[in-house]
Amino acid sequence: MNIKLKLGIFYASIACCLISCDDYVEDVEIVDSVAEGSEENFEPADFVTGVYGMHTDFVYAFPYLGITDMISDNSDKGSSPGDTGADKNLLDGLTYTSTAPSIRDMWTQWYKTIGRASQAIEFTQLYEGQSSAPKERLIGEAKFLRALNYFWLVRAFGPVPIQSQDLVRRAPEEEVYALIEQDLNDAIAALPLKNDYASQDIGRATKGSAQGLLAKVYLYQEKWQEAADMANTVMTSGQYDLEPDYATVWRESTENGPESVFEIQARGEQPAHGVNQYSQVQGARGAEGWGWGFNTPSQNLEDAFNAEGDEIRRDATIIFAGETLWDGRQVNPAAANPRYNEKAYSSANAGQSDGDKNIRVLRFAEILLIRAEALNELGQSAAALTPLNRVRTRVDLPNVTTTDQGQLRRVIWKERRLELAMEHDRWFDLIRTGQAAEAMAADGKTFEPRMNLFPIPNEQLLQTPEMTQNPGW
Amino acid sequence: MKCKISFLLFLSLFTLSLTAQETKTITGTVTDTRDVPLPGAELKVVDKENYTTTDFDGNFTLDVSVGDQVRITYLGFETQTFSITNDDVYNVALQDQTSELDEVVVVGYGNQKRSDITGAIVSVDSEEITKQPANNAIQSVQGKVAGVNIIANDAPGATPTVLMRGLGTAEGGRSPFYVVDGQPLTDIRSINPNDIESIDFLKGASYANIYGIRAANGVILITTKKGKKGKPVFSFESYYGAKTILNRVEMAGADDFITYFNEGQTSIGSFLLEPNQRYNTDWFDELLQTGLITNNSFSVSGASENIDYFLSYNLFEEQGILEGQKFQRGTIRNNNTYHLFDDKVRIIQNLNIAYTNETPKPFGAFNRAYGQIPLVPVRYDNGRFGRPYVNTTTGIVTFEAAPGESVQVLNNAGNPVNDVFYADQQINTTTLQGQIAAELDITDDLMLTTRFGATKFYSTNRDFNDIRDQWLNADPRRTEEFFDLQRTDPDGDGVVSTEYANNSYSLRRTESYRWNVEGFLTYTKEFNKHNLSATVGLSRENYQGGEFTFAQAYDVRPQRNLRNLGDQTSQLFQDIADGDTFQSTNLQSYFGRFEYNYDQRYYVRGVVRRDGTSDFITGDDNQFGVFPAVSVGWTLTNEAFMENNSFLDNLKLFAGWGQLGNQSVPFNIQQINTGSGSRNTNYVFGPAQSLIVGAALGSPARPISWEVTEEWEVGFDFALLNRRLSGTIDYYNRLNTNAILNVRPVRNSEFLNNFFDEAAEISNTGFEFLVNWQDNIGSDFSYNIGLNFSTNQNEVQNVKPAYDGAIGGSLNNGIITKRLVEGEPVFAWWMYETDGIWQSQDEIDNNASLGTAEPGHLRYVDQNDDGIIDDRDKTYQGSYIPTFNYGINLGINYKSFDFSVTGFGVGGNYVYNGLNSVYNIGNNIPQSMFDNRWTPENGGNTVPGANRDNEASDFYLEKGDYFRINNITLGYTLPEISIINNARLYVTLQNPFMFTQYSGFTPELNQNGDPTGTTGIELSAYPTTRSFIVGASFKL
Repeated sequence: MNIKLKLGIFYASIACCLISCDDYVEDVEIVDSVAEGSEENFEPADFVTGVYGMHTDFVYAFPYLGITDMISDNSDKGSSPGDTGADKNLLDGLTYTSTAPSIRDMWTQWYKTIGRASQAIEFTQLYEGQSSAPKERLIGEAKFLRALNYFWLVRAFGPVPIQSQDLVRRAPEEEVYALIEQDLNDAIAALPLKNDYASQDIGRATKGSAQGLLAKVYLYQEKWQEAADMANTVMTSGQYDLEPDYATVWRESTENGPESVFEIQARGEQPAHGVNQYSQVQGARGAEGWGWGFNTPSQNLEDAFNAEGDEIRRDATIIFAGETLWDGRQVNPAAANPRYNEKAYSSANAGQSDGDKNIRVLRFAEILLIRAEALNELGQSAAALTPLNRVRTRVDLPNVTTTDQGQLRRVIWKERRLELAMEHDRWFDLIRTGQAAEAMAADGKTFEPRMNLFPIPNEQLLQTPEMTQNPGW
Repeated sequence: MKCKISFLLFLSLFTLSLTAQETKTITGTVTDTRDVPLPGAELKVVDKENYTTTDFDGNFTLDVSVGDQVRITYLGFETQTFSITNDDVYNVALQDQTSELDEVVVVGYGNQKRSDITGAIVSVDSEEITKQPANNAIQSVQGKVAGVNIIANDAPGATPTVLMRGLGTAEGGRSPFYVVDGQPLTDIRSINPNDIESIDFLKGASYANIYGIRAANGVILITTKKGKKGKPVFSFESYYGAKTILNRVEMAGADDFITYFNEGQTSIGSFLLEPNQRYNTDWFDELLQTGLITNNSFSVSGASENIDYFLSYNLFEEQGILEGQKFQRGTIRNNNTYHLFDDKVRIIQNLNIAYTNETPKPFGAFNRAYGQIPLVPVRYDNGRFGRPYVNTTTGIVTFEAAPGESVQVLNNAGNPVNDVFYADQQINTTTLQGQIAAELDITDDLMLTTRFGATKFYSTNRDFNDIRDQWLNADPRRTEEFFDLQRTDPDGDGVVSTEYANNSYSLRRTESYRWNVEGFLTYTKEFNKHNLSATVGLSRENYQGGEFTFAQAYDVRPQRNLRNLGDQTSQLFQDIADGDTFQSTNLQSYFGRFEYNYDQRYYVRGVVRRDGTSDFITGDDNQFGVFPAVSVGWTLTNEAFMENNSFLDNLKLFAGWGQLGNQSVPFNIQQINTGSGSRNTNYVFGPAQSLIVGAALGSPARPISWEVTEEWEVGFDFALLNRRLSGTIDYYNRLNTNAILNVRPVRNSEFLNNFFDEAAEISNTGFEFLVNWQDNIGSDFSYNIGLNFSTNQNEVQNVKPAYDGAIGGSLNNGIITKRLVEGEPVFAWWMYETDGIWQSQDEIDNNASLGTAEPGHLRYVDQNDDGIIDDRDKTYQGSYIPTFNYGINLGINYKSFDFSVTGFGVGGNYVYNGLNSVYNIGNNIPQSMFDNRWTPENGGNTVPGANRDNEASDFYLEKGDYFRINNITLGYTLPEISIINNARLYVTLQNPFMFTQYSGFTPELNQNGDPTGTTGIELSAYPTTRSFIVGASFKL
C-alpha cells in the first residue's frame, strides 16, 4: 500500500479516537458527596420524637438528680460512703467545681437537645412531603421542648450562649428568657389542649404544658402578674385537676392523669424504654434491695414533714428502711440507707434499667402554688389562699389563714418544698427565693454566693476559651 | 561473540535490502573529542532510509551517494551532520553535549530542556537510584532532593512517606501524585528501580499544576528505560545483603528490673518479687534475627531500524528482622517503540507486570519486647509460651502455685515471640500496567500524541489463625481437655463460641482497575529568536473502581497445603462471607500550556488545567475546577552584556505561581440516627405507651470540595567556574486555602458527632538549596560533592471559630499527645511541661499538682498559675515535622574505582517516646531509665521513679534531629574481558551510622504518615536497620 494512504488512514483513526472523547463531560457519573442517606424515608414526626427521646437518657437518672436534689437540703448522696457516684459527694457537700461531670453532662445534654429541637423544626419547615401529624403542631412541640431545655440551662447557669446565634458569647438572662417566652408563646398558639389530642398522642406537649411552663418561667423572672394570669389560664382551661390521693401522684396509675401537665414518658413492658436506670439508681441498696441507693431523702426533709404534721406526703415521698410498701414489698430494715425516694419507686420494674416510671416535670399542684405565690407577691394575699389551701386540703392539712404577705410567702415556699419534694426542683427554688444560704446552713453546709449559678463546665471552656466563667468559679 | 556478529550481519543485510539506488560505500570511525571510539553511534542518510551503526571500535560502513547528508546521533553527544563528497573515508569526532543543561526534563504531557525550565524541578537519574539498593526507587533518593522529605520505613515491603514542601493537609490525602510514562501510578513498589531511567520531582505549583486536582502534594514523574539504537545490550545485576537493627535500646536485666519493680510496689504497698529468679530473658535477642536481601535483575535492550525494545525481569526478596517476615517482588517490563512511516509515527507500548508475595509479622512485637520483663521465659518447660504470671505469695515469676498461694498477671505486654510465631498471613498481589501511545508528526511543527493506559490490580490475603494453640498458650495452665469440653456445648444452649474453634481461616480478595485515554497536540516553532511551544489536550480517566470479597471459615485443616474454606473438620461454626464493589471515580480534564522564550533569555510560561470529577457535586457543573499557573524566567548569562564574563556560566532567575488541587479528601455522610428499642431517638406515646421509633440527625454533611493549594516560588539556577559549581536556590510559599478538618463539635453546639468541614488554612513556607561541585584532578581522578538543604515552616491559620482544637496522637491508653490549633503546625505536640520530680508529699501538697501526684512522679508546670494542673497547663511543643532537612552526597572516581557516600539528616522536630510513656508497673524499662531514676533514698530530679503516672509530658518528647549516613559504596569496574564489558563489583553499607540524641530505636517515625495518628510517636514502629550488601553488575 502507498505509504501516504496508510499514513492517512492512521491519522484518521487517531482523530476518531480523540473526537469520541468529546462528549465525555455528560458521561461523568455523578456521585453525591452529601449522601443524604435515606432522609426521604423520614418525616417530621420522627425527628420530633427524637427530641422527646433525649429526655430518656441516663443523665436524667443520675447527674440530674445530683444537681437538683442531692445538692439541696432535701436529699443526700446516699449509697455507700465509698461510692462517690463520680461527683455526687462533691455536690452533696457543696464542694463541687467546674470539673464536676454531672454539671458538664447536663450542660451538654440540654444543648444537644436544643440542637435536636432546632433541627426538627427546620426539617419540618422545609418538609414538603406528606406528614402524618400537622406540621404546625410538631413545630410547637419542638419549641416547647427547646424552651424547657433553655429554661433548665438559664436557671442553672445564668447567662448562656444562644446556640443559634453564637456558641461563645453568653447572652444575658433577659435575652435567654425572651427566647424561651417566644418559643412558649409560639407553642401555645400551635398546640392543642390536652383533651383535644387523639389518644395515641398522649404524652405529647400540650397547650397546657406550654402555658404551665410559661407560668413558671414568669415566676422565675418575678413577672408576678403574668405568672398569676398564666397559671390561672391553665387552672381555668378545664383540662386539669388534683389527683384525690397524693400517694398515687407519682405512681403508674396516675400517669398522664388529670394532674399531669407535662411528664417524661416511660414504658416498662417489653419492648421497654424508660428513663434509663431512673428507678434503679434510686432503689434501695443492699440485701433484698433493687438499686444503687442514691438520692436519699434527708433527715432535714423528714423533719420538715414532721414539723408540719404532714404524714401523707412524708409517707408518699420517703421509703423507710424496714417498711412495707403499698404494693406489699418488704424493705430490708438493714438496707444501706435509712430512707429512699419513693417517688422514684416503680412497682413493676423496680431495679430494671428501663422502667415504667414517668418523670413528672410539671403537675397541676405546682400550677396552683405558682398562682398562690404570684398573687401573694402582687399583694393579693387573701386570693392566694384559695389555690394554696386546695393543695393542702388534699393531704388533710389545715387551711392557711394568714394574709400577712411576708408570712404567707414563707408558708408558700414551705408548701412548695413539701408538695414537690424529690421532684428535682428544690435547689433552684432555694436559689430563686434567696433561701439557699439559710437552708443549707440548717442542713449543715456552707452555701457560697457563687453557688447561685453553676460553673460553666471546664471542658466547655477548654473548647471555647473565650467564653467567660461565672463569678467566683 | 557469535550473536554479535550475526546481529551485525543481519543489520547490514537489512540495510542493503532497503537500498535500491546506485551508491558508493564509505567507511570511517566515530570518536569523541579525545579520540575514544564510540560504539553504537547511529548514522543515517538524511531523507533516505540508509542507516547503520558503528561497531565496537567506532567503525562504520555506509552506502551513500555524493551530496547526501549523513546525520550521526549518539546519546550524550551533539548530533552532527556531514556531507558526502568524493572522499570514501570519514572520521568524525562528536562533541560532548553541554552538560545537563540540554538534558531533557519530563514535565508532564511533554518535555522541556533543562535550560528552559523556569521552576524548581529536581531530576534523579538511574545511576543514583540503583546505587542505593531498595525495593522501591523513592527510598533510594532519600536525601538527594531538596524540599522532598522522605521518611523511610525499613520493614520489608514498606513504602516511605513522601512530603514535598511540607505537610499541606490535615485530613486529606498526603502522598504525591506518581506518574509513570504518562500513566498515574498507585503503588511505587510495582516499579523495579532498575527499570527507571529518571525521576523528576515537580515541586512547584507552576509545573505540578498540569496534573490539576491531584497535584497538591507534588508530582513525581517516572520515566522508564527504552531501547537505545545500537547493539543489543544484556545487563545483569545481582546483590545480596544482610540486615540488622541499627540502633538497639539496652533494656534492664533481671536484677535491675526486680529492684525497680520492688521500689514501685513498695510505694503503693503491694507484694514484692524475690531477688533470685530463674530466667533472665533478653527479649530483643529472642525476637530479632538477621534479615537477608537478594535482588536479581536482567534486562535486554536495543533497537533495530523500526523498533526500540527494552525487556527486563527482576526478582527482589527480603527477609525481615522478625522470623518468617518476608517480602518478595517480581517484575517483568517490556517497553517497545515502533518507528513507522519514516519515523513520522511512533507507537510506544509499555507493559509492566508486578507480583508480590508477602508474609507480614506484627510490628506490635517490638513494643511487646520492650515492655515484657526479663523474668518471663520465651517458653516454659512444658513447651508453652511464657507469660508474665507471678506467684504473689512467693514473689517468684511463675504460674505455678501451691494451694493457698495466689497467682497474678504482672503486665499485659504479652509474649512477642508468641505473636510472631502465630501470625500466619500471606498476601499476594498482581499488578498489570499497560499503555499504548502513538505520536504522530502531523507537520514538522505539530505533533499529536494519544495514549491509552490501564491498570489492573489483584490482591489475595490469606489469614490463618490457630485459635486452639493460641488459647492454650495464652495461659500455661489451660488444658486441651477444657478446650475440647467447651466444643461439646456444655451449657446446652446449642451454640459453641468461636473462642473454642480449632482455627479460623479467611480469604480476602480485592480487585481494582483504572484506565485512561488522553490526547494532546504539541506545536513547536522556532523563528528568528522566538521559541514557541504550545500544548492542548484532554484526558479522561476512570479509577478506584473494584470489588472485594471476604470469606472466613472455622475448623479448616491446619496444614498449609490443605487449607480450604470448604473443607472443614467440624460444622460447629457459622462461616462468614462479605463482599462489596467500589464505586469508581470519573475524571475529565482539559489542559493547555504555552511556553515562549525570546533568544533563550526571556521566558514566559502559562498552564491551565480544568478538572471535573464525579466525586464532587454541590450544584450544576460545580464538579469542575480550574487550576491556572504562570511562571517567568530570565537567563542573564545569555544576555549580551554578560558575554564577556568568564566567571558565571549560567544564571537564570525564575518565579512562578499556581493553584493545585487535592481531591483526596474525606467525604461527609449525612447520618440519621435511628433504630429500634430503648435509645434516645425513640419515645413512648399513647394510652398503652407504645414505643415509637424516631430519628435524629447525626453529624451534619457540610458541602466539601477539593482542597485548593496556592503556591508561589522564586529562585535561581546558577553555574560557575566552568560549570564545576552549579545549583538552584529557591523560596516557596504554599497555602492550602480550604483545609478540611475533622471538627469535634463543642459541647454547646447542636451536633454530637464529629464532622468534616472546610475550616482552616495550612501554610508551608521554606527555602531550598541545591549545590553541586564537580571537578577532575588529572584524567584519573574525578569527584563531586552535592549538598542540599531545605527548610519548612508549617502553620495552621484562620481556623473557623469554635472549630479549633481537634485532638490526635492517641497513645491508646486514654492519653492524647497532639492538637490542631491556629498558629501551630498541623497537629502540634500538646502536653505538660515538666519541672523535675516531686521529692516529697509535702512538696506536692504545697504546690499545684495533679490529684494523683505522688513522690517520684513528674512535676508539671502550672502555666497559668491557677493552682490547678489541668488541660490549660498543657502547651504546644513543636511538631514531628522537621523544620529543615539536608543531604550530602560525595562521589569519587579514581581509575577503575568509584566511591560514594550519601548522608541525610533532619532537624527542628520532636518525636515522642511512646514506649517509655505508655508504662505500667510490671513493664520492663530501658537501662537508662533505671540508672537515672528517682528513689526515695537517693532523690534524683530528672527521671521519675518506679511509680510514675501516665500523663503525656515533655519528658518523653525528644529532639527528632538525626543525621544518618545512608550509604557508603565502594565499586570496582573490571577491565573489559572478552565479551563482558562494563562489569562492576561493589560493596555497600546502608545506614552504617546514625547520629541522634533520641533514646528509642529510631527517630524516623513514619507509621502511615497520618498527622492525627501516631506519626512521630514510637509505639510499635519498625526500627531502622543497617545492611551490608555486595553486588555485581555487568553488561554484554
